[in-house]
Amino acid sequence: MQILISRTLRWGVTIAGLTTLIGGTLYLLQHGGEALDMEKYASFSYAAQQNPATTTLDGILSGVLAANSESFIQLGVVALILTPVMRVVLSLVDFTKQKDWLYVAITLFVLIVIIANSLSE
Amino acid sequence: MTVIVFTLILIVGAYCAGLLGSLTGLGGGVVIIPLLTMALGIDFHYAVGAALVASIATSSGSGSAYVKEGITNIRLGMFLEVATVIGAVVGALVAYYLDSNVIAVIFGCTLILTAVMQLTKKQNHDGVKGSEAARRLKLFGTWPQKDGSFKHYELRNVAGGFGVMTIAGALSGILGIGSGVLKVIAMDNMMKVPFKVSTTTSNFMMGVTACASAVVYLQRGNIDPGIAFPVMIGVLAGALTGARLLKRLDVRLLRRVFSFVVLLVAFNMIWQGINGNF
Repeated sequence: MQILISRTLRWGVTIAGLTTLIGGTLYLLQHGGEALDMEKYASFSYAAQQNPATTTLDGILSGVLAANSESFIQLGVVALILTPVMRVVLSLVDFTKQKDWLYVAITLFVLIVIIANSLSE
Repeated sequence: MTVIVFTLILIVGAYCAGLLGSLTGLGGGVVIIPLLTMALGIDFHYAVGAALVASIATSSGSGSAYVKEGITNIRLGMFLEVATVIGAVVGALVAYYLDSNVIAVIFGCTLILTAVMQLTKKQNHDGVKGSEAARRLKLFGTWPQKDGSFKHYELRNVAGGFGVMTIAGALSGILGIGSGVLKVIAMDNMMKVPFKVSTTTSNFMMGVTACASAVVYLQRGNIDPGIAFPVMIGVLAGALTGARLLKRLDVRLLRRVFSFVVLLVAFNMIWQGINGNF
């Protein structure tokens, strides 16, 4: 089980890193020479950042299919976020195997809070 | 500045952040936030998104090494995770309404606490008599010694630790950093967990806590691809180098110097936040 957890972490990080690297290379090829939009970075606005291709799962996935480099990077971020979540799922399996119901309940609670919060907006 | 120059600066900066973060055990966010906001003039709301990415990358990157050694106390981590995820959800909710300058002051105060705690001595508490609550929750464990044997440890003050962890979660939800300092206070100082166990358990928790608010930040647009890309790649590479160096290097002096730098950054950040410069 420990080896499985360690392997999951390593694979998750590798997949996330590679996806981001591919997206990032594409991004630099497309936009590398452009001037940086400092006005955008200097003051954040929630309204201006509502680009579906980088902020919704649907948008990211369709963006990746359309070879949108920014969506590709975000897919890597999503993979990175999923890595610790997978780890919690593995712990849940482990506690279930040990019939440690107290910790099955605790782990389930943590998992539900993370998922519910992610789906809330 | 062109996009490619900006990206290269961030990769180098993130590499240093990952390296220093893993050598000092502070995580990447502590360096990433001042780099983005103070050095490059980027809005705090982007910096928090970048710090979340850095926190998860450091946690998962070095986590794979720790689990194998069997030091991480998964039950303790998961139990305290109940507190941190609740805190993180509340923190991410509150953060939506916070001005950059307020976030800057909160971050500065956290940095001061971090620097002070780095300078205090860590203990592998011996012969701690565990509390009944901790026994019921099955939080006692063993940790490997130098000679290959395993040593049993007990812990106490579960309620106190749980309370501090809620604050740690809230700070993580607002700032995106792992708030390792509060985890150290909760586990080392209050619950009397051996230092080696608390460090790795805290590293495990950092990634899970960050996940609780990361998706919300992604949907709000705080995680910008142009920043997330160099930050993730740089931090991952830096954390890997750090994990290798840590085995051979004596980092005591580095930690001390780093603490003073962090202190200076913290005061500067608070000062600028009070003056409304962000």
